[in-house]
Amino acid sequence: MHTQQATIKTHELKLMLDRGDKFVLLDVRNHEEFERWRIEGRHPLEVKHVPYFLFVEDPDNAIQGLPKDRLIVAVCAKGGSSAWVVNEVLRPRGFQAANLEGGMLAWGSYYQVQELPESLSKLRIYQFDRLARGCLHHIIAYGSGLDQAIVIDPPRHTDKILEFIGQKNLKVRAIIDTHAHADHVSGAVKLSQITNAPYYLHPYDGIHPMDVLPATFAYEMLKDGMQFELNGAKLTVLHIPGHTLGNTALLLENPDRRYLFSGDSIFLKSIARPDLGGRAETWTTLHYKSLYTRLLTLPDDTIVLPGHYSRPQEARADGLFAATLAELKRTNADLQIYPESEFRNHILSSLPQFPPQYVDIKRVNLGLLTADADRIEELELGKNVCALATAYKI
Amino acid sequence: MPESTIHADRELDVRGAQCPIPIIRARQEINQLQVGQTLKVIATDPGSMNDFKGWAQTAKNVELVKQEETTDANQKRVYIHYIKRTA
Repeated sequence: MHTQQATIKTHELKLMLDRGDKFVLLDVRNHEEFERWRIEGRHPLEVKHVPYFLFVEDPDNAIQGLPKDRLIVAVCAKGGSSAWVVNEVLRPRGFQAANLEGGMLAWGSYYQVQELPESLSKLRIYQFDRLARGCLHHIIAYGSGLDQAIVIDPPRHTDKILEFIGQKNLKVRAIIDTHAHADHVSGAVKLSQITNAPYYLHPYDGIHPMDVLPATFAYEMLKDGMQFELNGAKLTVLHIPGHTLGNTALLLENPDRRYLFSGDSIFLKSIARPDLGGRAETWTTLHYKSLYTRLLTLPDDTIVLPGHYSRPQEARADGLFAATLAELKRTNADLQIYPESEFRNHILSSLPQFPPQYVDIKRVNLGLLTADADRIEELELGKNVCALATAYKI
Repeated sequence: MPESTIHADRELDVRGAQCPIPIIRARQEINQLQVGQTLKVIATDPGSMNDFKGWAQTAKNVELVKQEETTDANQKRVYIHYIKRTA
């Protein structure tokens, strides 16, 4: 019976979650870390929380309540404690147990890449899903040989992007951050240095909103209406202040289809919050105008590809996070609140708690603060909370 | 932050070790102590703060006296835990 493996890799766990396999996820981290974030799937998941120090203290008591008839996948912060629980406590006692290799650290840097099936012959759109954080990143491949690429909102794990563009033989032509991110560390500057492709950001987001200090690196400035020619298709910059002052969305149009890389503006089940710069009162007005007069007036068949999601269940059956504007107008309650006075009341009364580490993350992204790998992991702990509270539930 | 002047009867240096090592070693050390004696644990894993807290709350004969975050001689961040054997 012990032919079954003692370790599971992140992509294997993802498959099990997607299939809705019957297994128990045993989280052995301490209470605080468990409360802060945990592994989720699209299907109901049986989770047991037993901190590893209880196994150290009294293993025979700690195993009470764990099943012997199905697989137990143990997880901890970095994979060390859960491996110990699996190998020293569970398997010797006859449990079918396996350790998630690398723990939450590996889960937090795991990306699933999928091609949007609606892509047309002249273009390919790839969505990178960072499951643990609900962050989405996109690559557009274009050109007659589909060998050119624009990278939108690259994450700090640039090795994942570089590996992908290497496999597809892509030449990166531009790197765009739709806005200066507060919830995760961007990989844009690093990727720009490695690939020599220019890095684009809106200049209003090149200034830290709280420190009022400028970015310490040079970048190309996005502005409203600016266009990138993608071999017949065009990518247009829409300046949509609200979530940040320099917030943008990117509209990709070719003759028969439109896609909106909405960044942090319209999400599938919610909208972005306007308070992360500390000016919710004034920015809410901008946000309303941007959402209701610039984005919702785009053609209904526009396919929206957001920068975040709050719950894995928001994905379509094929796993992609995408929906047409027509669907969103029907199903996203935050896009049905007007006039502006109603919107203001709704927004200002439903703001989630402000995550204090978001101030430092933006400092890192603007080169105002250097942080070592441990510190970055700490800053990025937990899911993104860029959306309004209505859709944000752990 | 200046280091505490709490008296420790024994010291355990687990700098560089990842969990579960600090807790497992601390448990072994505590078992060697007399009731009422205190162990000082020096760790580098930030997760050790909540781990030692949680362990002390649930373990039979362990009390967490104090926790400190400071830097060692090499300017590396360290986490110090003082735990007392209570029974």
